[in-house]
Amino acid sequence: MLALRTRGLGKTFKVKRKEPGLRGSVRSLLRPEWEEKPAVRGIDLTVGQGETVAFLGPNGAGKSTTIKMLTGILHPSFGEAEVLGLSPWKQRSELAYRIGTVFGQKSQLWYHLPPVDTFELIGRVYELKREDYARRSRELIERFELGPYLRTPVRKLSLGERMRCEIAAVFLHRPSLLFLDEPTIGLDVVVKQRIRELIRESNRSEGTTVVLTSHDPTDVEELCSRVVVIHHGGLLLDEPVERMKRDVLNRKTIRLTTASELRESELPLPEGTNAVRKEGRTFTIEVDLGRTAVEDVLGGWIGRVRIEDITVEDPPLEETIKHIYGRRGEKEEGA
Amino acid sequence: MSTEDKTFAGADASRDAGKRSPFAKGIGVVRFLLTTWKVNLAAAMEYRLSFLLLAGMMFVNNLIWLFFWSLFFGRFPVVHGWELGDVMMLWAVGAGGFGWANVLFGNFHRVAQIVSSGQLDVYLSQPKPVLLNALASRMSVTAAGDFLFGVVIYAWAGEHTLAGLGKFAMGLAISGLLFMGVMLIAGCCAFFLGNSEGIAQQAFNSFVSLTTYPADIFRGMARIALFSIVPAGFISYLPIGLLRNLEPGFVLGAAGMAAGTCLAGAWLFRAGLRRYASGNAVSMRG
Repeated sequence: MLALRTRGLGKTFKVKRKEPGLRGSVRSLLRPEWEEKPAVRGIDLTVGQGETVAFLGPNGAGKSTTIKMLTGILHPSFGEAEVLGLSPWKQRSELAYRIGTVFGQKSQLWYHLPPVDTFELIGRVYELKREDYARRSRELIERFELGPYLRTPVRKLSLGERMRCEIAAVFLHRPSLLFLDEPTIGLDVVVKQRIRELIRESNRSEGTTVVLTSHDPTDVEELCSRVVVIHHGGLLLDEPVERMKRDVLNRKTIRLTTASELRESELPLPEGTNAVRKEGRTFTIEVDLGRTAVEDVLGGWIGRVRIEDITVEDPPLEETIKHIYGRRGEKEEGA
Repeated sequence: MSTEDKTFAGADASRDAGKRSPFAKGIGVVRFLLTTWKVNLAAAMEYRLSFLLLAGMMFVNNLIWLFFWSLFFGRFPVVHGWELGDVMMLWAVGAGGFGWANVLFGNFHRVAQIVSSGQLDVYLSQPKPVLLNALASRMSVTAAGDFLFGVVIYAWAGEHTLAGLGKFAMGLAISGLLFMGVMLIAGCCAFFLGNSEGIAQQAFNSFVSLTTYPADIFRGMARIALFSIVPAGFISYLPIGLLRNLEPGFVLGAAGMAAGTCLAGAWLFRAGLRRYASGNAVSMRG
C-alpha cells in the first residue's frame, strides 16, 4: 500500500534580483529584474504505508518546499503528487483530516495559553467526538509525559517541552501519515533523543507513516528506515538507512583535549583511526566505523591518557554530500 | 513495507472525509469557530489588567472624538442636514461594526502581513476553511472597547424601539462586513505584489478615517469615489440612509457592497493561495 507518490514534482519561485547597496536598491526600484529560482527540480518518489522516511539535506536543499507541496500548503510549478490517494493542493481539506504536520519553526500552540487549551481547539478542528477526544488526549498526555506542564502557558515552557506538546498535538486525530519538518531543530541532545523515541514509538504502535526533514544525520540513523538525500532541489540519493550508514555515514570525528601536553606519537590510535589535526592540546581524530568502533578508541585511552574534554561528532552534512557525489562519480566512471 | 502495491493506504477514508454533507461541514465549522473565539478570549484574559486598560482606552479615545464633534455642532447645529445625533450614530455604527469584526475576526486587517511572512502554513495544514481559520485566530482586545462604545452610544442617542434596534444591528453588520471586505481585498495584494503591508496599512488608515466623517460633506468626484472605489460612504451614510430615513435603495446598495467586497476578498484570497510562497520566519499563535 502506498502513502504517497510524486512524479516530476517541482517548484520554482520568482525572485527579485538586486545589486548590493543603495544604488542597487534604486536601480531595482526603477527597473526590477526577476529570476526564476528552482527550489525543487522534479522529484520522483514513492513512500509505502508505515515507512519512516527522512529527507536529508543542507539548508536550501528543497526539503521543506517538498513537504509543503505534499501537504497542500504550496502549489507546485510542475509535476504530480498523490498523498493517501488525494491531490494535496486540490483536495487539501480532505487530506488534512488524514495527515498531521509539525513545523519546527511554526507553532500551532497558542503562545499565551496552556497546551491543554490548544488541544481542545485541535479536537474541534478535526471534529473529534467529546469522549474520543478525552480518551485520546489522556493517552497522549501519558505517553508524552505532558502532565507536569499541560496547564502552564506555552510562553513559559522550554523549547523541548513545547516541541513535545507540538508533536503530541499532531497525534490527536490519529493521522495515518505524519510530516515533520525539522522536529528536533534547536533542541539539546537529551530532548532530541526523547522526541525521536516518541515518534518511533508512535510509528510502531499505530503504524503511522513518517516523513521527516532534517539536517541532523542522527535523526535519520535513529528514526528512519529509509533516507532520501535532497540537494540543490534534486534527489541525490534514495536508499535504506542501513546501506547509507554502511557506505556514507561510516565516519565519526573525535575531538580530544588532553590535560597535559602530548606528542601525536604518544596518543594510542588503533587501526581505522587517523589524527587529522593537532592544535595545542586538542587532537581531531577521524574514526572509520567500518574498521573500529568509537568505544574501542575511547577504551584504548582510558588509564593511558589524562583527558580534559572529549566530543564525538558526525562529519558535517556538506562533507557527507560531497562523499555521495564522489561515490556517484566513481560508479558512473565504472559503468 | 513494499511500495510495489499501487493502491493508496486510507484512500477510502479520504474519500469519506470529502463526502460529508454540507450541513455536517457547516456544523463542524460553527463549532470550530465557537471554540476558537473561546480560546481567543481565554488568551486575552491571561492579561486581565491589560485587557481592561486597552479596551477602556479605546472607549475613551472614541469619546474624545465625539466631544470634539459636540463642540463643532455647538457652533454649527446643522451641517448639510447632519446633526450631532447623526454624527454620534455614525460613530456608533462605525466603531461598533469595526469592533465586532475585529473581536471575532481580528486578523482581517493583518492579511498582508500574514501572507508576506508565511504565517498561513499552520492554517493551510488544518482541514478548516483557511480564510475563516486565519481571520478568527486573533481577537483584538482594543476592539472590545470599540464595540462597547458603539452599544453605549446607541443606548444614549439611538432609537429605542424594536425597529430602531433592528436597524442599528443591521448597520453594525453592514459596517463590520465592509471593513472586513475592503481590508481583505487590500490584504490579498500581498499574494500578487509581494510585500504589500504598507499598502494594506495605508488602505486601512484611509478607510477608517473616511468612515468617521458625515458622507454628505463630500461632493462631486470625492462622493463618487466614496461610494465606489473606497466604499466608506456606505458606512458614513448609514445614520441617514438606514437609521433616520430608511432609504431602500441605499440599504440594498450598502448590503450588496458589504457582501460583494467580502465575496471578492474571499475569491481573491482563494486565487492568491495558488501563488502563496510560504516563508521560513519563526511564528507563534495567539
